[in-house]
Amino acid sequence: MMELDQRIAEQLTEITLNSSMQIRCGSSNSFLVSASVIEPLINEFQMGGVYICASRPAPELIATFTEIGVPVGGVQFIDCVSSALLGGTENQYTNISYVDSPIMLESILLKTLYRLRQMPTEQNFVILDSVNALAIYNEERMLAEYLHTFINTFRARNILSGIVTVPDQTPPSVLANLDLYCTDLIDRGQVVIS
Amino acid sequence: MAMVAKLIAMLGTPQYTRDRCITGIHGLDEITRGGIPYGATVLVGGTCGSGKTTLTMEFLVHGAQMGEACAYFAATEPSVKLLENIRQYTFFDMEMVDKGLINVFDMDVLYSWLGLTKATFDRDDINSLVKAITDIVNTIGVTRLVIDSVTTLCYKIPNDQLIRDFLFTLGKTLATQGCTSFLVAEITSAGAKAHWSSFGVEEAILDGIMVMGDIDRMGHLLRFLQVVKMRGTDHSRAKYALELTPMGVMMTPMLKWGVDAT
Repeated sequence: MMELDQRIAEQLTEITLNSSMQIRCGSSNSFLVSASVIEPLINEFQMGGVYICASRPAPELIATFTEIGVPVGGVQFIDCVSSALLGGTENQYTNISYVDSPIMLESILLKTLYRLRQMPTEQNFVILDSVNALAIYNEERMLAEYLHTFINTFRARNILSGIVTVPDQTPPSVLANLDLYCTDLIDRGQVVIS
Repeated sequence: MAMVAKLIAMLGTPQYTRDRCITGIHGLDEITRGGIPYGATVLVGGTCGSGKTTLTMEFLVHGAQMGEACAYFAATEPSVKLLENIRQYTFFDMEMVDKGLINVFDMDVLYSWLGLTKATFDRDDINSLVKAITDIVNTIGVTRLVIDSVTTLCYKIPNDQLIRDFLFTLGKTLATQGCTSFLVAEITSAGAKAHWSSFGVEEAILDGIMVMGDIDRMGHLLRFLQVVKMRGTDHSRAKYALELTPMGVMMTPMLKWGVDAT
């Protein structure tokens, strides 16, 4: 059984609803860190939310979250990966919306806003997982601009946002923008000593 | 001191603003800084699949929700097919049609009523068509109107001068009735060098122009809307990304580093 990082839950108690969190992780602990962020948001703070999957297909994430006991039934997933896989969108989950490609950044934002409008919960979060996956498809300047828009859009709506990043693999200008615009930092980045 | 107070009062006096028709469409009322000026005739030019029909129908639905009588003149597809397609959206309620708040007319039926069976229309035909539309507007008390599409209609008009006269007369008559109208135009390209209308004359005489099209981003088409012209309001002229959701149209500013249209 995977053990979640309790220090993250403690840190979340100090974060306000209009915060934007930079969630730094390493390449091997990204799922643990993501799960450690959303589990207390759902269970302790009774929040609903939207989880944007750019790194892995949503069905795979939902199955893994469920397996470790994170109840994601009330979370809407925006899947930017599965449309690129033949047959990837055929599954039993009803809480997934698909975006054709991670290059459709505005579509991701609009689908997220649409899902948030339907949320029954008063307090909501948005997790973007991850900047690194978006950086594969999007030019650096456009991604930096997008993150600026993304963070400010949700802050203005009092929606907690979290952006997952593996800092040593993130383009420097994008990382600099995250440092500048995010109000909080959850740092579980791993240092690899070779 | 009294002079200063007078000057401050003068500066503080709000400028004259025209009454607005609140479209209720997510983003559009912000883009037009409060809605479309009442009685304006707006050209909605767009490429195929850009969301023209959904946007214009949503415009009518929001009017109907506020108790306004609305009319939709369908020239490109039969009304039955149109309603069947639009029913998938949660913003649409068939009851609005049943209650007579949204009135859908097939242009083909209207042509038959008027005996306009010729392949091309002359000035008399055009006058009788404008009169028929005006009569419908007056009889029902229509305050929001859509013609989808004016391009299909204009194909029957043999020259630019007649098209100009038709649109000018129609726009003037509808404005007099206090009817805010969207005239849909089909265009083949929404790029920087494109015409915003099919015949190139519509755009000059109407009060507003909204362009809808696609941005090709590495093979993926992203819908956009841009308000190019809107008399009577200080509006945004930026491109907005547009998404058709079950709740209707949603818009967000297009990323500046990704706006090159095809």
